[in-house]
Amino acid sequence: MIRRVLFNLMAWAIVLAVAFPLFWMVVTSLKPQSELFRRPPTILPEVTTFEHYWRLLSETNFLTYFQNSVVLSVVTTVVVVSIATLGAYSIVRFKYWGRESLAFLVLFTYLLPSVVLIIPLYLMLVGLGLSNTIFSLVIAYTTFALPYALWLLRSFMAGIPEDLESAALVDGASRMGAFRDVILPQLLPGIISTALFTFILSWNEYLYALVLVNSDNTRPLTTGVMNMLISSFNVEWSLLMAASVMMSVPLIIVFAFLQSYLTRGFGAGGVKG
Amino acid sequence: MIKNKQTKLERHYATLGMMLIAPTVLVFCAVIVYPLVSAIYLSLFDIYTPTLQGEWVGLDNYRELLGKGEFWASLRTNLIWTVGTLSLQILFGIGMALVLHQNIWFRSLARSLILFPYFISTVVAVLVWRWLFNDLYGILNHLMMAAGLIDMPVDYLGSMPNAMISVILVGAWKYFPFVVIAVLARLQTIPDSLYEAARIDGAGPVARFFDITLPQLRDVLVVIIMLRAIWDFKEFDLIFLLTGGGPVTSTQTLPLLVYKEAFSLNNMGMAAAYAVAMMAVMLVFMILYIRKTGEKDA
Repeated sequence: MIRRVLFNLMAWAIVLAVAFPLFWMVVTSLKPQSELFRRPPTILPEVTTFEHYWRLLSETNFLTYFQNSVVLSVVTTVVVVSIATLGAYSIVRFKYWGRESLAFLVLFTYLLPSVVLIIPLYLMLVGLGLSNTIFSLVIAYTTFALPYALWLLRSFMAGIPEDLESAALVDGASRMGAFRDVILPQLLPGIISTALFTFILSWNEYLYALVLVNSDNTRPLTTGVMNMLISSFNVEWSLLMAASVMMSVPLIIVFAFLQSYLTRGFGAGGVKG
Repeated sequence: MIKNKQTKLERHYATLGMMLIAPTVLVFCAVIVYPLVSAIYLSLFDIYTPTLQGEWVGLDNYRELLGKGEFWASLRTNLIWTVGTLSLQILFGIGMALVLHQNIWFRSLARSLILFPYFISTVVAVLVWRWLFNDLYGILNHLMMAAGLIDMPVDYLGSMPNAMISVILVGAWKYFPFVVIAVLARLQTIPDSLYEAARIDGAGPVARFFDITLPQLRDVLVVIIMLRAIWDFKEFDLIFLLTGGGPVTSTQTLPLLVYKEAFSLNNMGMAAAYAVAMMAVMLVFMILYIRKTGEKDA
């Protein structure tokens, strides 16, 4: 019994140590500026204030960045998941020339470093006159999101028993009818899981946003918030921590309500391959 | 007659299959294959970024790259970073997975907390850690001084070898949850009977770990290590935002070198050559991984 309690305490000590930076982020964002530089630091804020959040929303460009990030991530997710669902269905359930090498190409690009693609993509998007638009970022994000989504959906699709589709075909359904009525409902958890991962990937992306966008109206959150750190004369840590918390809000929502989909996605694409 | 009809249906299905894959193929060609080929093509030019004017220089970029110390230094830094952060991720990840596999209090809450660093944006992770690392008001210096570990505040990111150690540690903190989840999923499928048998044979917890758990985890660990090695090798955001490659160039890995060459030094052609060279190094891992997944599919 004592061993069990000790083990539990030890386990939780480690868990809390890992989570401490996140706890500290929240605490810092709630402290008034004066309390921030107190020595020794206060572990819980003596005075809790939401002034940094208020200032973030009213005095900085944070809301614009947030809006850009939402548009960017939603559009990328919708486009990528729609294309990838059809693509995965085709790769898994149809037979035609070039199918195998295509699957190989998907896996290859899934592992490809962005820095290799970024130079030609930059030249291409500047050439098309798309630089500094959210649309250019949607195109750039497709380069990593599409192989990822395809790979994930491919393994979800492979998990659906083929008999179901055959039964529908025997009953006289067309191939696309079977896809709509049989495959899609079965695939739905996989699609949600893939969409969540794609959304998170796009939400967190930094490099493409850094290179392709440099006007404040089109910047997403990652480069926007980082810019607040670099361009400020003296760094206001509590403001930055408030921005970090706000930036993580969508993730917290996903975590609170949809975590099972995340773990499922892990099993499907991340590791099993 | 019947055979003929079937091939007709099969042909119809093949056409449908190709129509379904067409959008994927189109997008792939436009945003991945074309840029990939043109990256290789660009590496044969000398291009000035602001004007995008350039001239053909053939393999000169590669000749210069292989002769220059900076490429080799960055490759070395890249390997130190990858090996360092990857070993910590694996060790800590397996340990944490074993702990979370036990029946601890509020297990699902503990799992969520552990998972969180992996999902937050690198920008958030970096901001938080830079605040923790702050030399004057950072909590880390304060705690270490209070514990008597150090007398003077430490400069975590501005001097060597501290900067490299800090980057490796933050990398391990951010990415070890991936290992935890993957290992945890595998642990749950190891049959209890194996442990029962070992217990009857008198094997202690340590012997059970090395004789049962580790061999059972072997396959999944090989995949995790390869995948994480590839991802850590190409990591840009974390290092760029924490140290910017500094102090001077001591944490400058290859992706940072490519970025610097292209967008600070304005040598697009040279940067493309660096990128292609980096990809060549990674290709070994990538082929190994693709082979491995191919085996499992078959």
